[in-house]
Amino acid sequence: MSRTGASGASTRSMLRSPAVLVAGVVLTWFIAAFLVWPNANVLIQTFFPDGHFSGRAAEKLFSSQRAMKSLGNSFLLAVALSITVNVVGIFIVLVTQYFKIRGSRILFLGYATTFIYGGIVLAAGYKFIYGDKGIVTGFLASLFPDLDRGWFSGFFAVLAVMTFATTTNHMLFVTNALKGVDYQTIEAARNMGASTWTILRRIVLPMLKPTLFAVTVLSFLTGLGALSAPQVLGGRDFQTITPMILTFTNSPTSRDLAALLAVILGVATMLMLAVMTRLEKGGTYFSVSKVSAGLQKQQITNRAANTVVHALAYLLFAVYTLPVVLIVLYSFADGAAIQTGQLQPGSLTLENYVRVLTQPSGLRPFLISIAYSALAAVIAVGGLLFVARILQKYRNAVTTVVEYLLHIPWILPAALLALGLILSYDHPNPLVGGAVLTGTTVILLVAFVTVKIPFTLRMLKASFAAVNSSLEEAAGIMGAKTLYIFRRILLPIVLPAAAAVTALNFNSMLDDYDTAIFLAHPLFQPLGLVIKANTDGAEGIEGVSNTFVYTVLLMVITGVTMYLVYGRSGRKPGAPAKAREVGTASPATVPVDDARKDPAPVP
Amino acid sequence: MIRFENIEVTFGDFTAIPELNLEVKQGEFFTLLGPSGCGKTTALRTLAGFIEPSAGEVYVDGRAVTRLASDKRQVGMVFQNYALFPSMSVWENIAFGLRVRKEKAADSDRLVRDIARRVDLSEEQLHKNVAELSGGQQQRVAVARALVLQPKILLLDEPLSNLDAKLRHQLRQQLKDLQSEFGITTVYVTHDQDEALAMSDRVAVFNKGVVEQVGTPQSIYDESATEFVCNFIGDSSRLSADFVAELNRQSRRALDPSANSYLRVEKASLEPAADGSAVPVDGTVISRTYHGLHSRYVVRCHGSEIRLLVKEDGGAHPVTGSPATVYVQPAHVLQYHPETGISLDSRLQEANRA
Repeated sequence: MSRTGASGASTRSMLRSPAVLVAGVVLTWFIAAFLVWPNANVLIQTFFPDGHFSGRAAEKLFSSQRAMKSLGNSFLLAVALSITVNVVGIFIVLVTQYFKIRGSRILFLGYATTFIYGGIVLAAGYKFIYGDKGIVTGFLASLFPDLDRGWFSGFFAVLAVMTFATTTNHMLFVTNALKGVDYQTIEAARNMGASTWTILRRIVLPMLKPTLFAVTVLSFLTGLGALSAPQVLGGRDFQTITPMILTFTNSPTSRDLAALLAVILGVATMLMLAVMTRLEKGGTYFSVSKVSAGLQKQQITNRAANTVVHALAYLLFAVYTLPVVLIVLYSFADGAAIQTGQLQPGSLTLENYVRVLTQPSGLRPFLISIAYSALAAVIAVGGLLFVARILQKYRNAVTTVVEYLLHIPWILPAALLALGLILSYDHPNPLVGGAVLTGTTVILLVAFVTVKIPFTLRMLKASFAAVNSSLEEAAGIMGAKTLYIFRRILLPIVLPAAAAVTALNFNSMLDDYDTAIFLAHPLFQPLGLVIKANTDGAEGIEGVSNTFVYTVLLMVITGVTMYLVYGRSGRKPGAPAKAREVGTASPATVPVDDARKDPAPVP
Repeated sequence: MIRFENIEVTFGDFTAIPELNLEVKQGEFFTLLGPSGCGKTTALRTLAGFIEPSAGEVYVDGRAVTRLASDKRQVGMVFQNYALFPSMSVWENIAFGLRVRKEKAADSDRLVRDIARRVDLSEEQLHKNVAELSGGQQQRVAVARALVLQPKILLLDEPLSNLDAKLRHQLRQQLKDLQSEFGITTVYVTHDQDEALAMSDRVAVFNKGVVEQVGTPQSIYDESATEFVCNFIGDSSRLSADFVAELNRQSRRALDPSANSYLRVEKASLEPAADGSAVPVDGTVISRTYHGLHSRYVVRCHGSEIRLLVKEDGGAHPVTGSPATVYVQPAHVLQYHPETGISLDSRLQEANRA
């Protein structure tokens, strides 16, 4: 029962339920142990290493040429990426959604390949194709013997790879915003004599401005926190903050420097997210029309411009799809073909797949990643189901604070979270019963669960919010108690959405590198680390072919998951209307928009 | 049976119900009627136990239930959207409360089948998922689920609002029949005056959290105690002071020309009354709209636009722009105080106070 008039009463009614109390105690411990203390500890060790304030870490930072350069590189990459991603991203959205371009659906599929592979896998894929021993580089070198084989490295390579990987944000958010543009406004402009270009510049793009600002901030943050792309493709001359944090973390005498860099990264991230939130509050331009009309594609009337746009669209398509096609092809190639880059029909074999799927050395990292991802995904969703319901149902000061705290992993970079865990649990800590977690298999699992909390919580809360509140009242009036209602009424309704969130979480952690590189147990290396090692040539040609196979398998798993979560609901328009009336939280209620920093990994 | 005593409900700074005093009798079909946001659903939810009032008491059978949990109040409720559990079959939905009470399986099954039969749900429908049923069938499941627990009071929160007009008319009668059959005290919330008048034993008309009038459908309609009730129920024409003065002049009655005066559409006619009691007022037809069974006229006379209905019997009727005489019985004029909105008829003032 909701009492009216007294604002604090909701807290009292919430605390009446024993189930809520138990969940509250467990949650408080988790927040204190894994969200608040590790990050507070980073600050303490940076600024109060001996119990009193010290600027030693800052002095070390200013005197370290490498660290200062990495800071500069990160901001350079962030700014450059914000520009390049917008140029490419807006172009992609326009040619797939706004202009009449022949084969736009095929083009969309090509550009959407980054949805099914990202992070370290994408960086490794580009290196295997365009790197000094890459297939394309080998081919180009045979044509131009004077070609510098290391042409695809450094700032340019990192920027190029990250640009192509980060356009997923545009394909999600800007496409959505474009679809919201009322076509009648375009017709009205045309009726008043505006050209295609004028309509785009004066009517359509201004309406997309809030979304474009938001994706620019996301791109900036992605550039700032980049790890795998600079590590794989940056070479010695182009390293950024996060790889430096990793380097300094591994040296006990430089950990304060790592912590300070992580704090700088965290502050920058928080500032940019604050800017983004402010921009979001500025709002989207909603149609003021009572009956808005769906967007219709625009013909580019100038023939020359039309030809140029078509040519550029297909060139970009080739850039996006070439790595995927070559990775798939070379995953079937024998060692000689991979080494020489000469692919013949006779060199295609299933041997690589057989080796990866049957030999322990090939299968082990895959199984480790599957185990970590599955466990973390299930724990995150299972643990947050009841919590999300409580936070969605009760609105008071306690739940607001708890919700903010649970979003800490959303506003802090993974490197800072990982460093916090390392520093906090490298000695017996009473918060975890006096155990040492650093160096164990548990700490990576904790980090995976922690990182997934904000996304999972948002999705589950949205699912519970979609459930009609009358259902709970109806059960309550018949005498059912909180847990019974949760188990018998709410859970079956949100289960499809929860399963979808579990699948998305599982996917996003399968090829994780950014967290694992800090926290993984040396004997239980997940896939991301093995792929990275293979890009360094650790396992020779066999390692390269294994990586191709891993990449294909990951793409298949991601593709299937995306289809199951998003694809099926879109293909069944004829679902019974009555079933929709009753209103359940279907997997399709997991909005792609809420992906934000999740789940598409970016190198 | 049910008594709201000095009930006040606030949401933060907003007062939804400032002071509610209301009584519902045993076995009565009582309707809370009013426009959106008038506080009728808030009053119902307060009775159900979903909202705890900031002041006042709710009594059921003389016992204060204000601080009792909703399941302890012996009320059954049918929600606006029925709130059927989508993950359960029809049988499971109806049996839900019995299972919570840990009734024996055999008893539950017997009770479910019995109530299903009484609300016209077939054996086959019992095994269907609720999503497979039509709107009317879903409503019957919701009613059965509420009644199977044999509550003392049945609460219905706009249960017909999601249905099309034809089905709404049909189910309106079914609901009334069910209520009569079970003899259960029923509190019904609606914004539809037709529904309220057709189904209720008594109606409470709400406006801005305040009950404007309580009475039988007929008294609410014919003897609207306030200007709000007069406007909200039925269709009336606002009369000008000039028009009222003309009625006074011809009939030698003492209607107050400065009051806010209204005339129900069916109380005006283009034909003189058989007993000659109606006063003729000359005017001009400014519009006529054909509705099949009747035509709807608007006639301007003495500064008033008088709306009236004329039965379509194939005869000749005045056309737009032609002169027409409107016949009105001055006794049918409803008059309200211009500032307080309360009826000037002392008899109605008494009824309102009661």
